Amino acid sequence: METILTIFIIFIAGATGTYFLGKLSGILRSVIFITTLLVTSWLFFTAVSPDVIIEFEIMGILMSWGLTPLAYVFAIIVFGLAIIIGIYAIKAMEGQRSLNFFFANFLLSVMAMFGILISNDLISFFIFWEIMSWSSYFMVVLNHKDVQRSGITYIIFCVIGAYAMMMAIMIIYSYSGSVMIGDFISNFHAFSLGMKWLLPILLLIGFASKAALMPLHVWAPGAYSNSPMSYTALFSGALSKMGVYGMVIVMIMIVQQIPDGYWIKEVIAWLGGITSAIGTLWAIKQDDAKRMLAYSSVAQLGYIIVGVAIGTPLAMMSGLFLAVMHGIFKSTLFMVVGAIERQTGTSNFTEVTGLIRKMPWTFLAALMSIIALAGIPPLGGFIGKWMLYESLMGSNHYLLIIVIFFSSTAAFLYCYKFLFGFFLGQEEKEWSHVKEAPAMMVVPMIIMAILTFVLGVFPGLILKPINDGMQFLGYVSTDNRFWEMSTIFNDWGNQVVMEPIVYTIFAIFLFFLIFLTLKGYKNTRYVTTKDISSSGEIPREDENLTFITGFMQPFFRAVAPVMKRQIDKYYTSFGKGLEALFDFTRRIYTGNGQTYALYFVIFVILLLMFRDSLF
Amino acid sequence: MINDKNSQKIADFIKNWARKHSIWVLAYGTGCGAIEIPPTMTSRYDAERLGVRGAATPRQADVLLITGYLTTKTLKRVIRVYEQMQDPKYVIGFGSCTINGGMYYDSYNTIKVLDKYLPVDVYINGCMPRPEAVLAGFGKLQQLIAEGKANGAQKYKDDHEYYRGNLRKIIGNKYEMPLYNW
Amino acid sequence: MESVGYYILGVIVTIIVAFMVGMTYMGLSRKITARVQNRKGPPFYQNFIDAFKLASKETAIHHGFMHHAGPAFLMVASIMSVLIIPVLNDGKWFPNLNFDGDLIFLLYIMVFGPLGMALGAGQTGNPNSAIGVTRGLSQMVGFEIPWVMALVALMMQYQTTSLVDLMAVQQTTGWLMFSSPFAFLAAVLAMLGMFRYSPFDIVGAPTELASGPVSENGGKYLFTMMSSGSIFAFAKLTLYVDLFMGGADNLIELLIKTFTIYLIPMLYGMVSPRYRTEQAIRYFWGWPLFFGFLALVHAMVF
Repeated sequence: METILTIFIIFIAGATGTYFLGKLSGILRSVIFITTLLVTSWLFFTAVSPDVIIEFEIMGILMSWGLTPLAYVFAIIVFGLAIIIGIYAIKAMEGQRSLNFFFANFLLSVMAMFGILISNDLISFFIFWEIMSWSSYFMVVLNHKDVQRSGITYIIFCVIGAYAMMMAIMIIYSYSGSVMIGDFISNFHAFSLGMKWLLPILLLIGFASKAALMPLHVWAPGAYSNSPMSYTALFSGALSKMGVYGMVIVMIMIVQQIPDGYWIKEVIAWLGGITSAIGTLWAIKQDDAKRMLAYSSVAQLGYIIVGVAIGTPLAMMSGLFLAVMHGIFKSTLFMVVGAIERQTGTSNFTEVTGLIRKMPWTFLAALMSIIALAGIPPLGGFIGKWMLYESLMGSNHYLLIIVIFFSSTAAFLYCYKFLFGFFLGQEEKEWSHVKEAPAMMVVPMIIMAILTFVLGVFPGLILKPINDGMQFLGYVSTDNRFWEMSTIFNDWGNQVVMEPIVYTIFAIFLFFLIFLTLKGYKNTRYVTTKDISSSGEIPREDENLTFITGFMQPFFRAVAPVMKRQIDKYYTSFGKGLEALFDFTRRIYTGNGQTYALYFVIFVILLLMFRDSLF
Repeated sequence: MINDKNSQKIADFIKNWARKHSIWVLAYGTGCGAIEIPPTMTSRYDAERLGVRGAATPRQADVLLITGYLTTKTLKRVIRVYEQMQDPKYVIGFGSCTINGGMYYDSYNTIKVLDKYLPVDVYINGCMPRPEAVLAGFGKLQQLIAEGKANGAQKYKDDHEYYRGNLRKIIGNKYEMPLYNW
Repeated sequence: MESVGYYILGVIVTIIVAFMVGMTYMGLSRKITARVQNRKGPPFYQNFIDAFKLASKETAIHHGFMHHAGPAFLMVASIMSVLIIPVLNDGKWFPNLNFDGDLIFLLYIMVFGPLGMALGAGQTGNPNSAIGVTRGLSQMVGFEIPWVMALVALMMQYQTTSLVDLMAVQQTTGWLMFSSPFAFLAAVLAMLGMFRYSPFDIVGAPTELASGPVSENGGKYLFTMMSSGSIFAFAKLTLYVDLFMGGADNLIELLIKTFTIYLIPMLYGMVSPRYRTEQAIRYFWGWPLFFGFLALVHAMVF
């Protein structure tokens, strides 16, 4: 049997087993869950090759499954994250309710994502897309918290996206009679001009709603912050990348073929830029770590979409690289929040402070991920950011690059707020009992943190599969032209060589660290955070001196005009308008027989009056 | 070589020379004397030419300047600030009030003799001392530093119990000072 | 092996030169400020004495690892910038890394230090430190925009992101200061914020924040930060000279040019009071942003 089918069967068996056998014992559930992930990942990384294509017929429609090199890149994200987050989730979810459902659903999500990636026909693509949407919806409402608002918002946007996509698929099928993605792409030139514009836009609405592109990003903060953190890590890290995957195909394979399709690319790129700016500004404002990271995810996906939409080789490379990096660091950050929430019971910056000495390993993971997120060398995020800037310059986007620069500079503000709010600041008596998270949660985070570093020094490791994927999309090989194992080039031949830079940075850092440590070693002492120069006043043990409420107030005074407008307000007023309309419509049906008789009489009179003109 | 007596002497000389010419002052504006600090620092008398310069926090400061009378309420905070400063550190008592209480000699809520609570290196007499006198005081301190005689901090460490005992007499046992550990 | 030794030696020499020059400039700035205020002022070598005194302070306190390592982060940023910015034309005298990184890399490594430092300041638990850090980051968002606009205009006009190439361009076209005046204006106005003299000294603000992020640092920590600051000042000044004034052929020329540039924020600061944070941000999003736009238009047209 083909490996792909084997993987599917294992997934389904694993999900069923987790759900039903999990009712017997928790250990059995964990074992089945982790074995399923391990075996499928192992099969995927060893036995799946991008060339094999399986075809079969269901109800007269030909289906075709196979892994393209492009999908392989995304599949690496999915399986890599799934296995690491899976290990984390077992410990993190301990003691919470509906665990059987959670773990089975987790497996279903991973399976659906894998299904999306291997689908070569639109029907199975759509089916897996729906499985993914529904399984993630159940995760959003799993905690029975804020179901009305975030759950409904999420499912509405899922449905909007799915309807748009289904409409596109129906049109494609009725016009060309084939649901194969390959056929669609090769026959695209035969469509009429109107269809040529309509189809990509419908498909893009479907994908953009999952990738949380503005103005379809409204669901993201609620959905990301409401699902359990162990799932949000996968949600933001891998699931949102499915939207990116779809967009890559649409932007490169289809939009390329439209005359003047250039404009779609520009509009999407600008939407991506604006998404990143707005998302960043809102992220800074949040006091809850989950919501902050959710907005931050929206912003980071904005970068990725900019890269994908610009579509020059360097830009596409940066988009895909950022997608991988974002999967790594953002899921680590969500895991960190999960760990902190588990240990302290809250994820609010204004409540918990000074954890650095209690949770040093968690801090290390958070620090590395934040550095990668901020794009500071030498970690991996920098490589992606660098390529994005260079590609924007190389493709003459004068103003877009300024928008991107603005949002990535403003990102430092929330990056600092994240680290400061949780780990730094005054150490409070209230949190003196907090312990480091269990090893099973810390180790996955640390592994991810190390990954960000490795990919920063040797970006070639992940650029190689990306390069293969791009060749599948029709790009010329970028190997040795834009990247080597540890070097990246831009369009004009300028380069950054990471290896010597990293060594120099470490040498300097170590030298001064040793200098600071050894100089006057005996007379250097540690004092608590209560022993600060506070004008001679001695803070009491229970006195909280941490400055975190209204953290970036001066900044917001400067950007106040931008923050006044909110897209959800427009949606709300639109919804209110619809409600009023429906309410008006409802009044027609009064339930009174005489009114209905009146309607009938009026109708007949009207009919008689306009008889001549109507018939 | 490093433990050699002469080279130690030379190192001390250089260190003291640097300390002498770079005095960062934490002016603890307790009393009316604080008003004499701005003229000392600004254009007319320009203490900066001697290397005297204001410091913002006790961690950065070398000299604690007690400008005038100290109420019993301020005392514990001044002592806290002094303990937060980092070695080597010096204290200058500014005005008559720090020497013998000055015009507050019979006040119930000021301390009379500063030296009981903090090891004063240099007193500047006067009520108020004019900026010239302040500069002369700094000159005296510089001289003491150069000679290696400004060792009030060492005295504070050695006689810590004595100083703390005096403090406790003033503020009583209700208010616990955190331990000062070196 | 010999080349590695030579390289390390060159790095050390570069750092020492940068340290000396930066320290002297800061001392001179104190002297000049004093003269403007009709004072005698400290000698120009006062900063060396201060630094030496700080280094010779005996005790030092720290509030944990990040606070302890904060100055080292700062040093990484300063030294890396000095290594990436070519000191003299044609890579003379100072062998460094300038072919391994470009301007975008430089922009990012320059914020590495302040962020590391900010973490250190955060761990002290002193509210003043955190307030200072937030002010600094907000101000950075302010001045980074016109500064990046100026750089992007230059890079796109000459189709290169390498500083060395931009310096080579100036050998033929003359100083970029004259051929791209708007970029120069935007960059210089952004520099006012970068040097944090008045009216943009909102981070340190001794009278309201007790020197902000450094308020818990003394002794060896403050010494390391002070030396890092002077190295960083030299790096930034050299960057401006390299970008807009055609680089320098020898050390004397470099000193003259850098000092001329240095006078701008210094003299501007002497006659200005302090802004509030949002005023500072709005300042940068006013005229500097406008000049940045003009620079972009200029780059687009030519």
